[in-house]
Amino acid sequence: MIKRFATLLPVVFGVLCLTFALLHLVPGDPVDVMLGESASAADRTALKAQLGLDQPLLVQFGQYVMHLLQGDFGASIHTQTPISQLLWQAYPATLLLAIVALAIGLSIGVPLGIWSALKAGHWQDVLITMLSIRLAAMPAFWLGPVLMLVFAVWLGWFPVSGMTSHVAIVLPALTLGLGLSAILTRMTRTSLLEVLNEDYIRTARAKGLSERQVLLKHALRAALLPLVTIVGLQMGSLLAGAVITETIFSWNGIGRLLVDSIEKRDYPVTQACVLVVAFSYVLINQATDMVYRWLDPRTRAA
Amino acid sequence: MAGCQPDGSSRSLIFAVAQAPVNLDPRFATDAASERINRLIYQRLVEFDASSHEVPGLATWQMLDALHYRFQLTQSAVFHDGKSLTAADVKATYESLLQLKNSPHTAEFRHIEHISTPDAKTIDFALSHPDPHFAARLMVGILPAHLIANGHDFGHQPVGSGPFKLDHWQAELQLKRLSDGLTVRFEEVKDPNVRVLKLKRGEADLIQGDLPPELVKYLQKQSNVTVNTGIGANYSYLGLNVQADFLRDVRVRRAIAHAIDTRAIIDKVMVSHSRQANAILPPEHYAGNAALEPYAYQPALARQLLQSAGVKLPLTLIYKTSTDPQRVRLATILQAQMQEAGIDLQIKSLDWGTFFADVQKGNFQIYGLTWVGIKTPEIYSKVFASSSLPPQGFNRGRYQDPVLDQLLRKEDWPAVTSRLHSELPVIPLWYEGQFAAYRNTIVSYRPMPDGNWDGLTKVVFNPAAN
Repeated sequence: MIKRFATLLPVVFGVLCLTFALLHLVPGDPVDVMLGESASAADRTALKAQLGLDQPLLVQFGQYVMHLLQGDFGASIHTQTPISQLLWQAYPATLLLAIVALAIGLSIGVPLGIWSALKAGHWQDVLITMLSIRLAAMPAFWLGPVLMLVFAVWLGWFPVSGMTSHVAIVLPALTLGLGLSAILTRMTRTSLLEVLNEDYIRTARAKGLSERQVLLKHALRAALLPLVTIVGLQMGSLLAGAVITETIFSWNGIGRLLVDSIEKRDYPVTQACVLVVAFSYVLINQATDMVYRWLDPRTRAA
Repeated sequence: MAGCQPDGSSRSLIFAVAQAPVNLDPRFATDAASERINRLIYQRLVEFDASSHEVPGLATWQMLDALHYRFQLTQSAVFHDGKSLTAADVKATYESLLQLKNSPHTAEFRHIEHISTPDAKTIDFALSHPDPHFAARLMVGILPAHLIANGHDFGHQPVGSGPFKLDHWQAELQLKRLSDGLTVRFEEVKDPNVRVLKLKRGEADLIQGDLPPELVKYLQKQSNVTVNTGIGANYSYLGLNVQADFLRDVRVRRAIAHAIDTRAIIDKVMVSHSRQANAILPPEHYAGNAALEPYAYQPALARQLLQSAGVKLPLTLIYKTSTDPQRVRLATILQAQMQEAGIDLQIKSLDWGTFFADVQKGNFQIYGLTWVGIKTPEIYSKVFASSSLPPQGFNRGRYQDPVLDQLLRKEDWPAVTSRLHSELPVIPLWYEGQFAAYRNTIVSYRPMPDGNWDGLTKVVFNPAAN
């Protein structure tokens, strides 16, 4: 286990280098953002010195890493708010949205996929396939406002946007979850159809097991394996902040914080967001890998 | 009472804004939302009347000599924490601003050498060099001296003496009006469609500006929504890099002006009350110039001008703009119009940070931007004087004209605006009309020409609708 996590260190270090480089690669610098166009050269030099931006790059990188190790992400250029505070506010919101969206995706996608596979070639299968392809093709910037119009403005069931009530999560989670469910439906169907053609399923049927037993005991466990990978990848993307969905639904998560910081050239916040997102991705991938090994004994030796 | 529902419970007026305020310390605030809210929370020494003349705010003033100004507090203002506003607070505000290393406003006041307070109502400013526009600069909200001394975080816990005070600011900012206790909550809703849906659904009472015209037209048709429009004073223009090939030739710049049908754009895709512009400051400004005639849309003349300048048609020009959908749409319209005149306008839509950095560095041929909230004619020197090349000023197009420099020094505004109109270092487009849309739950809100939110001081809940 420790060895496994030790292999993550180079990845995390790479991400650290990249996020640090971000500050120095993009046009403009924090001093321009803070002082505007009309500040004198003397003011610029003074602020550069105060922020430590006049130090050699390696020294700056060393200080950056040291601060990070102490949990200090720095402060926002514009609001002077500690970035760790911004992350503490945004990350739980993104996590909650990701979990609910994933739950919606799984609870719609898997049953529909199974049903579609069992009815392969019938009208139900055709209908589900048509629906899921359409859902997968709907971008969040279109689906979100349509859901708002129908469920918030016309039916009045949910608020249009914001985080003011418990039900406010439904529409953004649906916007993300419906697209996800379409992918999961397609994956489940394909995977289950493949498994149902395997010899051991024929054997199970030959043993006289009921179709229900064949499906639940033998087919599903194998068929759902590829889904773990997909769910892991999707969860990673969701934790990276569903930028568009969070923005249109005024959901104060990581995605919105990231976009906001990019728009305002708040470099330290952008850096911290990218770092947290990358770290989440790495952790989720690692967790997916472990779940996969646990579920599929064949991969353990590898 | 305002803000009360029939059951006696009070509710907040919800103002859905495109961008939430960032920092409510007037010594730091630069974004439009923070500056608009700071106008409600703080009071300033000087205000501007409808023709943009400086008028007394908290104080009257006199110029003792070229280097000395005396301000006399005339209003007995009280800070939200109960302390009276005195000359010491004014001194502390400006002195603390001068000591800041990371404020974008400090540079403007570098020439203040000394501030003294002969008595509790009088503030004397001594300057290092003459500045006839000094009074007009004193627009920074006055902060209480005792809190400045304590290093108070005004950015998040503002304390001023204005008509609104901070109620709370957790996820969203809420202000309370001192006169009657009405609370206003500022909810950030970035997407314009969502702002409209929230207004329609009743989740917002008020929205202002930042909507594409078709959404404004949609709102005008809604029975429970009132749309108020008014003239605007914010100047949209095309910036030209006069050091770039061809653009240094005034005939080419005039050709571009003749290749744009601003009238048609205003009529077809902008809100009502939008006006063609000829100069940064609008005609009603005391330094405005109502005599200037807009360049007429004459693509044939534009072609002739280009050919006389030795340009081989089509002339390819790169137009940089932000990713804002309305800006991109306007760019495509300009592109189509200019094609008639033999100009192949290539649009480069960049994220705001990259776009603005390019503009500041002079890394452009043409860009489109808007000057917001400009009050003093000093802007002409800052934007067009040869001495105002970045980083000393905003002369982003690197325009250098000794004749204009002389006129600027004389502050002969009619001559300055005429010269600029004829030489066209930038192409004036329009002053976009202002509008506010609100549910019939509220009344008495009017948008202001520079888009500020001072209308909140007068707005009340509609007793008939509640």
